[in-house]
Amino acid sequence: MARHTPNGIVQAMQSLRISNSLASRPNIPSLRYATRKYATEVQPESATETVIATETEIQIEAEAETSMKTQKVKAAPAINFEKFNIAPARIIPASPSYFSGSPRFIDHVLRLEALQAKFAHLPIVDAAEAPRMAWLKLAQFRDFVGEPVPVKKYKSLLKILQSMNRIAPDMVPGEVRDSLASFLRPGNPYSTQHSPREVDEMGRARAKGKRKESTAVVQLVEGEGEVLVNGKSLVEVFQRLHDRESALWPLRCVDRLDKYNVWATVHGGGVTGQAEAITLAIARALLLHEPGLKSSLRKAGVITVDARRVERKKAGHVKARKMPTWVKR
Amino acid sequence: MASAWCWSCLSRLRPTPRAILPPSAAIPRTTSAPFHSTAVQYANPVKKKGSLTQVKYRQGQTLRRKKKKNVERARPPAVGERKAQRKRIVLSNPNALEVEGMKDLSVETMIDARLRGSVLGLPVTMLDQLRAVQAFQPKQGWSIFRRPGTVMRRDAIEMGRLIAKISGDGEEAEKGKVVKRVLTGLKGSGKTVHMLQAMAMGFLKKWVVITVPDARELVSGDTSYTPIEGSKPTQYIQPNATSALLSRTVEANREVLSSLRVSQQHPALKDLKPSSTLEDLAKMGFSDAALAWPVFQALWTELTATSAAPGLEKDFQARPPMVVTVDGLAHWMKESAYRASDFTPVHAHDLVFVKHFLSLMQSGSSLKNGGMLLYSTSTSNSPASYSLEVALDQLAAQQKGVNVSSPEYPQPEPYSKPDTRVLDLFKPQKASGKEGILELQTLGGLTRDETRGYMEYFARSGLLRENVNEKWVSEKWSLSGGGIIGELEKAGRHVRAPAKTLPTVE
Repeated sequence: MARHTPNGIVQAMQSLRISNSLASRPNIPSLRYATRKYATEVQPESATETVIATETEIQIEAEAETSMKTQKVKAAPAINFEKFNIAPARIIPASPSYFSGSPRFIDHVLRLEALQAKFAHLPIVDAAEAPRMAWLKLAQFRDFVGEPVPVKKYKSLLKILQSMNRIAPDMVPGEVRDSLASFLRPGNPYSTQHSPREVDEMGRARAKGKRKESTAVVQLVEGEGEVLVNGKSLVEVFQRLHDRESALWPLRCVDRLDKYNVWATVHGGGVTGQAEAITLAIARALLLHEPGLKSSLRKAGVITVDARRVERKKAGHVKARKMPTWVKR
Repeated sequence: MASAWCWSCLSRLRPTPRAILPPSAAIPRTTSAPFHSTAVQYANPVKKKGSLTQVKYRQGQTLRRKKKKNVERARPPAVGERKAQRKRIVLSNPNALEVEGMKDLSVETMIDARLRGSVLGLPVTMLDQLRAVQAFQPKQGWSIFRRPGTVMRRDAIEMGRLIAKISGDGEEAEKGKVVKRVLTGLKGSGKTVHMLQAMAMGFLKKWVVITVPDARELVSGDTSYTPIEGSKPTQYIQPNATSALLSRTVEANREVLSSLRVSQQHPALKDLKPSSTLEDLAKMGFSDAALAWPVFQALWTELTATSAAPGLEKDFQARPPMVVTVDGLAHWMKESAYRASDFTPVHAHDLVFVKHFLSLMQSGSSLKNGGMLLYSTSTSNSPASYSLEVALDQLAAQQKGVNVSSPEYPQPEPYSKPDTRVLDLFKPQKASGKEGILELQTLGGLTRDETRGYMEYFARSGLLRENVNEKWVSEKWSLSGGGIIGELEKAGRHVRAPAKTLPTVE
């Protein structure tokens, strides 16, 4: 009766914890389940058993000799343990955790715990100094093992992985490195280094900005204060003076309006959103040219991103929050 | 299970001892809801509603409403007064300061490159002429200054020199040339004012100025129209519009027209005396609208005449060059609001008035005595005309030197059904003799120096209370989309309340 109950898994986990609660505790092989290499009930021939067997054999032979001497009966041929003439009584699973709810997962845990115990003596580094690893996400891990692994248990597995990851990088055994690598997301995202943006060889600084639904990309070059938005004049795009002023505000507030030319593309959203998206993009592009302006631009309020978006409409409401008018009946 | 009765209600059931202070007689004891948990008897008495509900004995119960008092209101303005208000042009503001040392536009100053960026006043004597040809438009901001003036930007000085050359100052080869231009540019870039400057310069040089201040009026179906019998396809005369054009022309060019005498035979005009002046000729048109079109044709042949007809050479004087301006070209590039007798729309090019002014674009039939033709597009009042867009693109490409047969030459989109009459009008021309080809002139913004001069004019007129310096000017220049003059004007006239400085204790 192997019922896939959570209790069974919990017990399995607890038993594992008990056996391995202390990493420093030496593991006595005889106390652990011996790993099986084939799926039969018959135990593999261990050295002691063969010794015992030979002893009994000797005893039997001695007795047989004495009896032969007395009765002259021919003894049965010696049992060949290498070859059975009968099939095994029942098939036994390869994994000891077969009857738990998630055998593959538990196998992984057992393997990792064994490794952890094996290399517990290696020096470890501080958690901050350990290399940053992108472990499989829970959903990815579930796909990887093909079992519904609960969150909490995956966290416990991650804990083991993290502690193994803390082994001093120059002393990590190949075995550990390989097994840790099997839990990494493909294409380690932390392996790539972000290069900081710079003004390119043509003297252009490129930056993006967003506000409401609008996205703006600005190319800022040194110039005389000419502005083109989507290939059009600023006046054509923003008919309201306020929008024009807010679009060029980062240049205006640091007196750089006649020092740079702006070439912007902007799409999405409305007029105000587009103007303010350009504001943000210009400010970021300006920082590439002159990083020292950051504090004054921050004071001008053009560095802070306004991440507000339109609140979604709710069911039963007229708008996001508005309720329908109360009617008596 | 919990009881349906609440404890307080049950306790109320029991005979309770009387309150020490019994409720006063003024508060009536309500016993309608004895088991209710609220103490009704201590609540305030229900207030009586207004007198409407209180029905008195032997009183009618019909609904009575107060009658609305008839508020005496001012009478609405008389017919046409609102439009007059809307179209009124104020050219002076006595509250504005007079700018010291402001020069007038004159024959000398209009070609002076040193005055570039300065504002030149329009001569006071010329204002009536300019008003007559409707050179001023409402909402151009004339009313905020002491007197009307225009900036001498690069295009204006270039035009001034051109007009001087055509008049015959300088080389003989340039005299009597015809310059034809289509003006385009962003909204507020000064296209109409550029035409005003052309008219003013024409008046200074004693040219004849003929204008169509609003092309829309001729195609919007507002003025009368009559078909010309026997014309095929049927063409239409607009007698009243022609009459108005004649009266404008006479009013503005009286001095020139009265000095010129009739030099051609006009069989259509029986009443015309052979010794009459061109002013008399034109006057015949606006006294009788039915004669307006033949009179205009006669006037035009007189003004473009290079020599007198046999027998009339006695009083012949050389005719002056002309400035012809049309504002709002796009209206003439589509079907008009007029209908033919079979209710099909009449194309604008079938109106002879329109056709006459458009035909001047084409080579051969243009101004014979030289002059300047200016057609301006509009960005605020322009109907969508795809064909005109394509035609102007083609014109720009021709100007760049793109070959007509090359693939870069802009063509209308396939299946877009462009108006072939419009495209034919802008077909590439060849310069013949003194007649130039049609050019496209795109007005951009002012330069920084011109901007500075213009903004200083605002400051000196007392409208602008800012310190006009390099920094401020360059800020306004950028904000106005690169010196678009209409936007600069808004920046200049925008009155800001000066920041109040707190009194300091010393």
